[in-house]
This record gives sequence, C-alpha cells and structure tokens, in this order.
Amino acid sequence: MLATSSRRRPLGRTILHVALVLSMAFGVLAAAGGYWSVIEAPDLVRSPYDPAVIAAARTVPRGKILDRAGLVLARNAKDANGEFYRVYRGPAISQVVGYASQSYGRAGLERAYDAELTGLAGDALTGAFRKFGASQYDPGDLVLSLDYGLQRDAVRALGTRRGAIVMLDPTTGEVRALASTPTYDASTVTDPATAQKAFAALQDDKDQPLLPRATLGRYVPGSVFKIVTAIAGLGSGAVTPSTTYQEQPAAEKRGLLVKGFRVHDGHHPQTGSTPLDLVSATEVSCNIWYALTGLRTGGADLVAYAGRLGFGAPLPFDLPTAVSQVTGGTGKAPGGFVDDVELANASYGQGETFVTPLQMALVAATVANDGALMRPRLVTAVRSKAGTREIGPERVRQVIPADEANAITDAMVAAVEGQLGRQFTTGSKVPGVTTAGKSGTAELGGTGEPHSWFIGFAPAEAPRIAIAVLVEQAGRGGEVAAPIAGQLMAQYLAANP
Amino acid sequence: MSATPRTASAPSLPRILGPIRPRPRWTETRLLAIVALALVVGSLSLGLTLAHRFVPYDPGGLAIYLAALGGAHVAMVLAGRRSDQILLPAVGLLGGISLLLMQRLPQDLVTLDVGGSTIGLGDIQLAWLCLAIAVATTLGIVVRSDTWLRRYKYTWAAVGIALLLLTFVLGVDVGGQRLTLRIGPVSGQPSELLKVILVVFLAGYLSENRPLLIEQDTRLGPLRLPPLPYLAPMVAMWAIALGIVVVQRDLGAALLFFAVFLALLYAATGRLSLVLIGLVLFVLGSALMASLFDHVRARIDIWIDPFADPLGTGYQIVQSLHAFARGGLLGVGLGAGLPMVGGRLPIPEIHTDFPLAALGEELGLVGVIAILGLYLVVVERGLRIGASAADDFRSILATGLALVIGVQAVIIAAGDLKVLPLTGVTLPFISYGGSSLLANAVVVGLLLALSDKGVEPPPPPTTSGWRSRLRPSRLRRRSP
Repeated sequence: MLATSSRRRPLGRTILHVALVLSMAFGVLAAAGGYWSVIEAPDLVRSPYDPAVIAAARTVPRGKILDRAGLVLARNAKDANGEFYRVYRGPAISQVVGYASQSYGRAGLERAYDAELTGLAGDALTGAFRKFGASQYDPGDLVLSLDYGLQRDAVRALGTRRGAIVMLDPTTGEVRALASTPTYDASTVTDPATAQKAFAALQDDKDQPLLPRATLGRYVPGSVFKIVTAIAGLGSGAVTPSTTYQEQPAAEKRGLLVKGFRVHDGHHPQTGSTPLDLVSATEVSCNIWYALTGLRTGGADLVAYAGRLGFGAPLPFDLPTAVSQVTGGTGKAPGGFVDDVELANASYGQGETFVTPLQMALVAATVANDGALMRPRLVTAVRSKAGTREIGPERVRQVIPADEANAITDAMVAAVEGQLGRQFTTGSKVPGVTTAGKSGTAELGGTGEPHSWFIGFAPAEAPRIAIAVLVEQAGRGGEVAAPIAGQLMAQYLAANP
Repeated sequence: MSATPRTASAPSLPRILGPIRPRPRWTETRLLAIVALALVVGSLSLGLTLAHRFVPYDPGGLAIYLAALGGAHVAMVLAGRRSDQILLPAVGLLGGISLLLMQRLPQDLVTLDVGGSTIGLGDIQLAWLCLAIAVATTLGIVVRSDTWLRRYKYTWAAVGIALLLLTFVLGVDVGGQRLTLRIGPVSGQPSELLKVILVVFLAGYLSENRPLLIEQDTRLGPLRLPPLPYLAPMVAMWAIALGIVVVQRDLGAALLFFAVFLALLYAATGRLSLVLIGLVLFVLGSALMASLFDHVRARIDIWIDPFADPLGTGYQIVQSLHAFARGGLLGVGLGAGLPMVGGRLPIPEIHTDFPLAALGEELGLVGVIAILGLYLVVVERGLRIGASAADDFRSILATGLALVIGVQAVIIAAGDLKVLPLTGVTLPFISYGGSSLLANAVVVGLLLALSDKGVEPPPPPTTSGWRSRLRPSRLRRRSP
C-alpha cells in the first residue's frame, strides 16, 4: 500500500533539486573567484600588505621618476648587501616624490604609485599574459609634469618660511610646481646608513617637514576665497558683474549690520561713496560687497558651487589631499552654516573656512580656463617594457559658463593692474604680460601674524600658468605672497614662451 | 518501480570476488590519457619555472603517480565490472594537481623520518595518493554487496559516535582545534571517516523510514511535518553538530555534517518544511554558538571584515584573497606564485586549508573554475549514480557520498574566497593529509561499486523495519 502511494516517488526528482542547489553554490564560488581575481585584483595587488609587493621591494629595482624634461628625480643605488635603495635629486622634490624606504615605508608618489614603480600594476588583461614573459616584474618609470627647475626656485622663494606654492597649467591640469616648506632630504631616509637618525629627527621636528603643506595643509583663506564667492554668485545668478549695493558705501564707515553683528571693513577710503560692482569691489578687496553677495547667493549655493570646484571631498589627484571646507557644516542654516553671520564672514574667507593651497590653485585655474575645472595631474605617463601608458588631460566639469569666468578674470586683472588694486598686490604683475590675481590676508584671531595668500594666473587673455602662494603667518598677502607669485610666473613664462 | 528485484547477470550468491571477465573501459582509458598529458604538461611548466630546465619537475614522483592511476585502470578492466568510467579520471586529475602543488611547496612544511632518511611534503603526499588509489580501486572492484552497510546501520552509528567520543576525550589539540586522534604511532582526523559513516547510517535510517517520513503528517500551525518522533534524529544530529563545535572547535565538520544531513533528508522525503526547520535550527545554533564562544564570534568577525586587521586575525584570509588577486585571469604560472618574504610562505596553512588560493594564484581564475568544474563532475557522477540506483538505500547512499565531497569542497572554497567564514576542512583530493585522502578514497570506491548495475540486486523493499513493527496501528489507521 505504502509503496504505491502517489506521494512516494523515486528519488530522482529530489536528487535533481539537490544537484541544482549545489550547482548554484559552485556558481557563487566561481563568481567570487572572478570578483577577487579580476574586479578587486588591481587594488589588492597594489596593497602594501601583498607579499609580492614586499618581496619585490627588496629584490627588484624600482622604476625611475623623471620630471617633464626627462631629468631623473629618483633612481636606485645598491647598498653593501646588494639590496636596492633610493637616491633622490634633492630636497626640493621630497614633499612630492616622497620616499620608498625598507624600514619606514612609503610616502608621496613613491607610495601612490608603488605598484607601478615595482612593476606589479596592470589590469586583469595585461596582467594575465605576464606569466608568458621572462620576469613577472616590469617596473615602470613615472614621467611627471613637474618642472624641476621651477620647483627648486619655488622652494627657494619660500626660503626659511613655512608655506606652499602650487603652479599648474590651467588648460591641462598639469602641475608644474608643488612646493612645501620646510622640506627635507628624502635621500637621508632611504640611505641605510643614515635612515634611522634622519627619520627620528624629522618626526621630532616641530615645523613638521614631513607634512606636504600644499596638499595636506588646511588654512584660513582670507580674501582669496572671494573668487569662490564670485563664482557662486555669478554661477547661481544671484548677482551679475554690474550688481551694486546702495548700503555698501555707508557700511564701509559704520560696518554692515548682519543680525546684530557688525561686519567691518573700511580699508579702502579711496572709493568714497560710490557703490562698487564686481570689478571695482575685487580691485579694492571690498569685504562688504562680498558679504552682501554671499548673503544674496545663500549658503546652499555657495557650498554647492564650492563643491563644483572640489571643496567637500578629497581632490582627484595623484597624491592624497585634505578636504577643503566652506563651513564646518554643523549649522541648521542652508549649506550647513550656523547663521547669516557665519555666511557673511565666510563670503570673504574668514568664517569656518579652511582650504588647501592646491584647492585655491584650482580655483584660479578654473577661472583662467574659461570656467572649466581640469583634473590636476602630476604623473603624465608610466613607461614600462609593456609599453607607455599616457595619462592625458581630463575635464572634471564646467563650473560656470565662460562669459562669467571672463568677468571674474576682468576683476582679477583689476586687482593686479588697477590704479587701486596694485597697492594690494604689489609685485604680482608679470612685466609685459596682463596678469590676473587676488591677494589674501587671512586673519587668525589673537595676536599672530596673518597668513599671506596670493592666487592668480597669466597671461590673462590666454592663461598658461595658474598659481597659489601661501606663506604661513607672514603678514599681508600683497606684501609677501604677491611678489613671490609674480616672480615665479614671470620666470615660467619666460622659460616656456 | 525500484521495488522490482532484477536478476540480470548477477551471481545468485553474494560473494566477495566475482569471476574475472575482463571488459574494456575505453572512455576511462581516453580520459586518463588526457589527464596524464595534462599532468606532464603541468610538471614541465613547473620544471621550467623552478628549475629553469625543460624537464618535468619531479619526474620520478609523477611517474609513480601515473603508474598508480594506470594500475588502477588496468585492475578495473581486468575485474570486468561495469562501473562508472568518469570518476577515476576526474578524481585522478584532482589528485595529480595535488601532487604537483605539494611537490612545488617547500618540502620541509611536513617531514617524516622513515628508516633514517627524511622524506618531505611531496613524497608523503605521493604515498598517501597511491594508497588512496589502491583503496578506491579495491573497494570499487571488491564490493558487490551492500548488506554489510545496510544491515548494520546502528552498528555503524555506534562506531561513529565512539570515534567522536574518543576524539572528544583523547583528542590532541592542534592549533586550537581538537581534531586529531593519536593512538600509539597512528594519528588521524576521525571526522574525515565520520562523514562516510554518517552517510551510511543516514542512508539506512532514511531508506527504512522513508514511507513514514513522507506519508504521515503532524500539523504544526501552517507547517505539515512528519510525526514528531521521527524528527528526533534531526534534533540529535543538530546536537551532535553543536557538540563538535563546542568540544572540537571544528566548525567546518559541523557545517558539513549538518548540510549533508539536511540535503539527504530533503532528497529522501521531498519535504521543504524539514529543510526550513533545519535552517531555523542552524541559524539558532549559530547565534547561540556565536554568543557563547569567542572563537566562533572571532571567526565571524574576521569573515565580515578581514581587512580590519590584515596583519593579525585577518591575516590568512587577506593573504588568500591577495593570492587570488595576484593570479588574475590566467594565473602567474605553476611555480611562479606564492612570493616568499624572509623565507616564509605568505600563508602558513597553504597545503591544508588554502591549496585553492595557491592554485588560484598560479593557475588563475580559469584554473579555479576548472577545478570547481572537476568537483561538479565528481558530484554529478555521484548524484547520477544515486538517481539511477536500484533502491532507496543505494540512492541515498550514493547521493550522500557525492554530497560529502561536493559540500566539503564548497565549504573550504567558500572560506578561501570569503564567501563563508573560514572553517578548517580540507579540499577533497587536493589538500595535504592522509585521513582526508583515505576517507575520500573510500567515498570514491563505494561510488564506483554502487555504479555497477550488474551486481547483486538489493533485497526487496521492506515495510517491516523495527519502527513500523512497533506502530502497526498508526499505519493502518491512515490506510483506506
């Protein structure tokens, strides 16, 4: 009876179900294999925890690092045990190239491009055929956009002061100089004979020579931030280049009352009772005009346009970058401001605003490049036996339309070349070339000297170089940073006609 | 139906050795030739990479292994049984891959002193492989009757539980797990043998009680379940699995046993409700274990984010994933992977827990998928043997034997690939270790024997198991 019941069947059907479930499990395993072997592989094989990377560091010569003219910035030497160590061209590039040490790990480009330099990088397809080659390592040489001579002169211009200089080609995003001071000699960290003592001394130095200020330093921007406010104001349509504020001349004397807080200015009595527009307000660096523009633009749009310039996230760069911010972002007002007082102060760079020198160089470069932000690049090619991988220009986005960018260019030209403007930006003009720029004097509160800032570009009509100069606690922007910028831009344009 | 006894050409009396009538096995011959070719090419590749010469890496070892495979084939031909011709080549290729891998790893990973001379990893594995081939072939040729498995299922269960208890009490802790049983000079991992015994017992139990498990219902809310007393084995099984986790700290074996048990329960009854209850029990048990035992919770934490501590607790699994990543699509080539830093292998347990990672690096994703495919072939042959077997006992037995190999491969491969938490079971036929190879050889031998349709037919199906004898009234009540 039981044996013939309809519910009791031979086992074939249920065994088939079991087979299907198990086959699916194998399918999942194959997919997982693909995930790790192909999709995640490029990241995993670059990891410093990968024993192949560790092993290669000891036995395989690293690729060289060259500047844009082919000058060797980093090469290999052999120690007494026959193991390789790195030798660098000089202290000027240490903050950019970094070091690759057996004992102290990696920094800078040596860290960011470790896999390419040791020769383990490569996508799944090119990597797949490597096993048919003689060696599984194919060290790549890095070709940088950096101009070693310019880089060295930028470091010299800063001298013994703490600061940073970023110079880049606004049309391609190629970084020509990325100087941070104080710097150090990376060769002392990689040379086995001196490494231990040198590294300990660098770590103890209170001036933090190991900190690449150009990319990881965050500073109060002061008036150079006004260019960001101008971009947001014009871009959002809140203001036009001819916008004036009737209350502005009077506010110069008594201060601008924002919610019971007075925004003070009064450093340009020459403009008298004339209401200023974009160009004249930028020429004299009018805090009141920019505070009113920021208030009219609104916190949300100010933060949004700053975000389009790169604020609020690490920059898409070859080296790690600190995040620049317009505001601390904890407030309830639009954009994360606490209230209109903070917004008004932020509009001329004195709120809870902190920026990296690289970010401010990108602000200048975006204005110079007709409103289009190019991805900043240091590495332009990776050369190995497998071939050369060129890394070309990459447009991140059009931040504002070209005509609005050109209006800001006019304002920045006035700030450098105008009758009144040149008093605030002494020495930033490149002789014989129309120069655009903006100085900044970032008050830090208390009794300390302000940070001295300058951002700009030249020639204004067809820009070839954009620059940001920051000198920590050095005084007024027009007095310290501006002449350095003028001198370096002039030198670059003369050498690259 | 399976109930009809077939006479065919089987001898009327059960005997151990049948008359010898050689029968060619051309499919097996051709497949073995391909396997041999593949292994020679692999060995040449290994020689080229490691010794920089175009000769096989360890020609002697490979020759012995191929001779053992050939010998097995000849023995099967001579024995004249009509058994499966795919299993031996598939398993032979897996074993050959194992041999190449063990030859290529540092030989001092495992050493053994034999009569004054020391032999290393590759030679020890070769010896176990040859022994395993001998065991599988012998079982495949000699076993013609399943009575000795069928009739004494409770004896087998007792043996299994005795083995388990013995390990609980006398086991030696190795690496925080109590898996190894050492009696005098002989040591081994009983859980490997236990999985075979478990399948034999389950096949006996489930085939005998299948009618009851299918026909009778107890309603529990919306669920229709078999009579509750028949669920006792499930609870017992669950308890045993938990016991293994608690006492032996062997998550892998517990997972394997429970998964095979659930699959067989489903195969025998077709009742999804049982599987669901089993899964609920599994989840409850896992949660309980994770809340009670640090080592279980640690495993789960490592699984969720091994990169949180890449040099400490997450080291092995992170290194395993790195190995797969270095391999990429086609691999770095046999012998070219596993970069040594300071003379140490990146993964210490590469030969037992992570051979798939080593093969994933050297043979690439393509190689991993090929190896997974080989396991699927073995499983498919086993399940096919199960589906076409003459009666329920043989069906469930063959299915269970195929599953212990398939599920075990899934568990360890999933651990290596971070699909499941890592549990230390061996990769069948590839991992180093005698217990594992011999137990899996027994599985293959039994499958070979079961695949021969010409052997003694199973006894007629019985409705007179002791359980049904005890409860005739219940059965009768349901019959119209």
